[in-house]
Amino acid sequence: MANSTFLRFLLLLLYQYRSKHAGIAVISSLIVALLSAVLFISQSIQAETALQLKAQPDFVVQRIRAGKRIDVPVEWLEEIQEINGVSSVTPRVYGEYYFSPREEHFLLFGVDFFDEQSSKAIEKIVQETDLRKFLSKEQMIVGDGVKKFLQEHYYKGFYNFKNPDGEIIKVPVYSSFDKETNIISNDMIIMPMELLRSIFAMDEETLTDIAFNVPNEAEWDNVLTKLHLLHYDIRVITKEEITKSYHNLFNYKGGLFLALYLITIMTFILIIYQRYAMVAVGWSIKDVLKLKFFETSIIVLLSFINGVIIAYCYVYLFDAPLLSNLFLGSENLSNEVAFMPVVDFGLLGSIFLFFGIPFIAAVLIPVWKIAVTEPKEAMK
Amino acid sequence: MSEIFLSNEVLIYLLSESVIYVLILIAALLSLQLIIKWDFGSYSEIQFTLEKRAYLVMTIITFAFIVKIATLPYFAYGIDKLSDLVPGAMCASGVIGANEYGYPLLGLKIATVFISGTWIIINNLDLQSPNYPFFRIKTGLFLLIAILISIELFLDFTYFGNITTTKPVSCCSVTFGQQGGSNPLPFGLDTAKLLVLFYLFYFMTAISAIGRYAATGFVANILFLVTAYYAVVYFFGTYIYELPTHKCPFCMLQKEYYYVGYLVWASLFSGTFFGINSLPLKWFAKKDVLYTYKFSLFFNTLFVLLVSAYVLVYYLKNGVWL
Repeated sequence: MANSTFLRFLLLLLYQYRSKHAGIAVISSLIVALLSAVLFISQSIQAETALQLKAQPDFVVQRIRAGKRIDVPVEWLEEIQEINGVSSVTPRVYGEYYFSPREEHFLLFGVDFFDEQSSKAIEKIVQETDLRKFLSKEQMIVGDGVKKFLQEHYYKGFYNFKNPDGEIIKVPVYSSFDKETNIISNDMIIMPMELLRSIFAMDEETLTDIAFNVPNEAEWDNVLTKLHLLHYDIRVITKEEITKSYHNLFNYKGGLFLALYLITIMTFILIIYQRYAMVAVGWSIKDVLKLKFFETSIIVLLSFINGVIIAYCYVYLFDAPLLSNLFLGSENLSNEVAFMPVVDFGLLGSIFLFFGIPFIAAVLIPVWKIAVTEPKEAMK
Repeated sequence: MSEIFLSNEVLIYLLSESVIYVLILIAALLSLQLIIKWDFGSYSEIQFTLEKRAYLVMTIITFAFIVKIATLPYFAYGIDKLSDLVPGAMCASGVIGANEYGYPLLGLKIATVFISGTWIIINNLDLQSPNYPFFRIKTGLFLLIAILISIELFLDFTYFGNITTTKPVSCCSVTFGQQGGSNPLPFGLDTAKLLVLFYLFYFMTAISAIGRYAATGFVANILFLVTAYYAVVYFFGTYIYELPTHKCPFCMLQKEYYYVGYLVWASLFSGTFFGINSLPLKWFAKKDVLYTYKFSLFFNTLFVLLVSAYVLVYYLKNGVWL
C-alpha cells in the first residue's frame, strides 16, 4: 500500500466520522484540560514555595514545655552564637493577632532593624526602608493582603491594636511590600520589636524563637547535635523538614485529586470501549488495524494538545479561578497569586501517560473486532 | 498506605503499569490457547479464528511493549523526583536502595525491556514472511516475558509500598564512593586499565558490526556493556559532574546536568541491545538481520563519542585532567 493512499484513507476516515470524532475529542480535551490545570497549579505553587523557602533561615530553635511552644530566654542567643559555624543568629519575636469581627488573623513580626537578618526576604525589606524615617515614631510595614484588608475596613493608613490589658495602641502604616512574595507574606505585618512586645504584652527578656543559618551544609548534623546537648527542652526546626512537609502537602493534595480522577478516566474509557465500534471496511486485517490505530492516535494527540493549551491559558493567563482555592485555601486573607509558568517535559509526559495509555488500551480490542469482520458481514 | 503512593509520578506510573498488565494478561491467555491449538496446515474454521486472534494478540503485545520501553525512563524520572521526600537521598540512587526490592526491580525492568525488544524484531520478521515461520518461538518468548512482567508488577507495588519517608537512606556518594580505600572496580582493575578495556571492547563491537560477525558481536557487546557501566560510573561520570569525587550513575539524570543521563544510558542500552541480538536473531531467522548491525554500530559510536566528548571538552576548557 502506497503511503499517500494510506494517508488519504486516514483523512477520509477522520472526515467521514467527523461528528463522532469531534464528540470524543471535545470530551477528551476537557478531561485532559482539568487534569493538566490541577497539575500545573500544583507544580507552580511548589516552585514558588521552593523559591520562598530558599530565603528562609536554615534552623529555628524553640523552647518546649508540656508539649507546647513557650518563649525563649534571651540568654540562649549567646549560647547559640558560640557554636562554631553558625551565622546570622537572629532573635525573632512574632505572633498572630486575631481580628475577631472578621475571624481573620495577621502575622505580626517584630524586627530589630539594626541587626543582621537570617531571613533573606526580611533583609531585603529592611534594606529598602529608610530607617531614620521609619524609626522616628512607632510604625509598621504591611503585606499586600493586610493593606487591602485595612482599606476595606476604613482604616486609613493606621490600625488600632488592642493589647491583653485592653489598652489601644494606634500604629500608622509606613509602607507595604510587593506582590512578588505573596504566598508567605500576604498577611504579615513587620514592626519594631519593642512595639510588638507591647501589643502582645510579652516579657522584655524573652523571644518567640531564634533563627540562624549554617552556611556549610555538611555541618548541619553536627550543629543539630550540639543544640540538643545545650538544653533538654529545645525543639529545632530545620529548613529541610519544612521543605519536606510542604512537598508532602502538595503531593497529598495533587495525589488525592489524581486518585479520584482515576474514576473519571476509567468511566470515560469504558464509554469509549463500548462506543468505538465503527463500520468495518473489509480490507486485510493488518491494514485496517494500522489505519484504526493511527486514527485513534491522532484523536488522542489532538485532544492532548488541545487540553494542555486550554489548561495553560486557564492557569497562567487567567490565574485559575476556583481551582486555585483547592491548593491555597481561602480561610484567611485571600491570597492573590500570579502563577508563574513552570512546565517541564516530565509533567507533560505524566499527563500523556495518564490519559493516552488507558485510551489506546481501551480501543485495541474493539478495533481488532472491526478489523476481523468479514467483508460480507460488513457490507450488510 | 504510604504517602509515596500520592506522589503524582508514582501514581501515574503504577496506573500505566497496571493497565498494560491487564492487556498482557489478556494476550497471555489468548496465546496459551493459540499455542495449544495452532496448526497452520489445517483449513478448519478453528484455525481460521485462531489466525484472526493471533492478530489481536500481536497488536496488544506490540502496544504493551512500546509502552513498557517508554515507561523505563519515566520510572527513572519518578524515582528521581522521590529523592526530595526520602531523607538522605540526593538522587535516584538513594531511593532505589531504600529497600531490598529496588535494585532487583530495576534489573528486571531493564531485562524485560531487552527481551521485549527482541520480541518486536522477531514479530516484524514473522509478519514479513507469508506463513508465520516464527509463530511458536515468538509466542513462547511472549509467555516468558508475561511471567517476568507479572513478577515486575508485584515488585512495583511492594517496592513503592515499602519506601519509608522517615528512615534515612544512603546517598550515592556512600553507595558508589570509595570506602576505606578499597577498590570498587571488579577484578582489581584501575581506571587506566578500565579505559583501555572500554575502548578495546568498543572497537571489537564496531569491527563485528562492520564485518557482521554475530557471535563475536554477542560476546563483545556483553563485555562492552559491563565495562561501559563501570567506566561511566567511575570515570566519565566524574567529567559530567566536573567533580572527581562524584561517582553516581543516577545523578546525571537530573536537570543540573541537562538530563544527559537519559541520552547516555539510552544510547548504551540501544547499542548493546542490537549488538547482542544479532546472534539470537541470526539463529532464529537463519539469516543476518542487517539493520541490527547498523543500529548497534550507530548507537555504540554515539555513546562513546558522547562520553569521550565530556572528557575532551573538560580538558580543553580547564587544561587539566581530573
